[in-house]
Amino acid sequence: MHPMNAFKKLAVRSPWLFRINAGSCNGCDVELVATACIPRFDVERLGCRYCGSPRHADIVLITGPLNLRIRDKVLRVWDEVPEPKVAVAVGICPISGGVFRGGYTIDGPMDRYLPIDVNVPGCPPRPQAILEGVLKAREVWLSRMGA
Amino acid sequence: MIVFGFLKVLLGNVAKGPATEPFPLGPATTPARFRGKVHMDPALCVGCAICRHVCVGNAIHISERADGSGYDWVLWHNTCALCGLCQHYCPTGAISMSNDWHNAHLQAEKDEWCESRFVPYLVCERCGAHIRPLPTSVAGRLYADNHVDVARILRLCPQCRQIETALHEGVRHDDQRVA
Repeated sequence: MHPMNAFKKLAVRSPWLFRINAGSCNGCDVELVATACIPRFDVERLGCRYCGSPRHADIVLITGPLNLRIRDKVLRVWDEVPEPKVAVAVGICPISGGVFRGGYTIDGPMDRYLPIDVNVPGCPPRPQAILEGVLKAREVWLSRMGA
Repeated sequence: MIVFGFLKVLLGNVAKGPATEPFPLGPATTPARFRGKVHMDPALCVGCAICRHVCVGNAIHISERADGSGYDWVLWHNTCALCGLCQHYCPTGAISMSNDWHNAHLQAEKDEWCESRFVPYLVCERCGAHIRPLPTSVAGRLYADNHVDVARILRLCPQCRQIETALHEGVRHDDQRVA
């Protein structure tokens, strides 16, 4: 087998996650941390783990309603993530603006700027719901990889 | 000592060690009181719209149909903060919160991710006007001290209800006067 193909087969087993906080209240971020760091939920069973750099990421988890101050920074970080990438909106804020919709500093919802693939509504969603969203994102990502 | 009840749990956890939940490979445990997706029972809705008024996320939309056959009650889960205020303030208990948290969906389903219910209007037996249905539990409470035929009253519009009750009361008073 060609070494590159072997690598591809291995790589599709572990989509790495990256978190972007686009002005979130930190509620969804706490749930994201619980999903990964608490053995009870343990997202690393699925081969996922958080990475520190957007250049290593495959699945991007976005929280927060995208306010004006953070908008350009979020878009800059998003452009750093290599293709194929999948965006997951975690919580009601990135999906619709949530309870902040209509505020003068809110420039969301997120899908005005980024191609969101999976939505996980909730305020915040429970860790199991986030796991479900990551699984859905993984399917989208695999289909994009052509695996 | 009730204060030290946690010690038992703590020691139990130390003995058991960390345990990973089987989800997503198996079923997840969900507390019965977990606030998940909102459900609405159209048979109990009186259309007072207090749910729309108290909704923090502006998730509830109520619109009357153009032909006057009833109204649509729609709640968009994608902006519902799961606070439970609608359930708390619903006077008839039509709104309930299930412990269903399976909310993750693809972007294509975003706009259809709703709890959508149609509440039909009744037609008044006397004058043919469209009326909001009154659940029997509410009617029983309202007319508890009245000597009226509740089943008949529920099929009438408010105006005809007044007339019906007045006629009924009038007859009763006449009877008392004769006696």
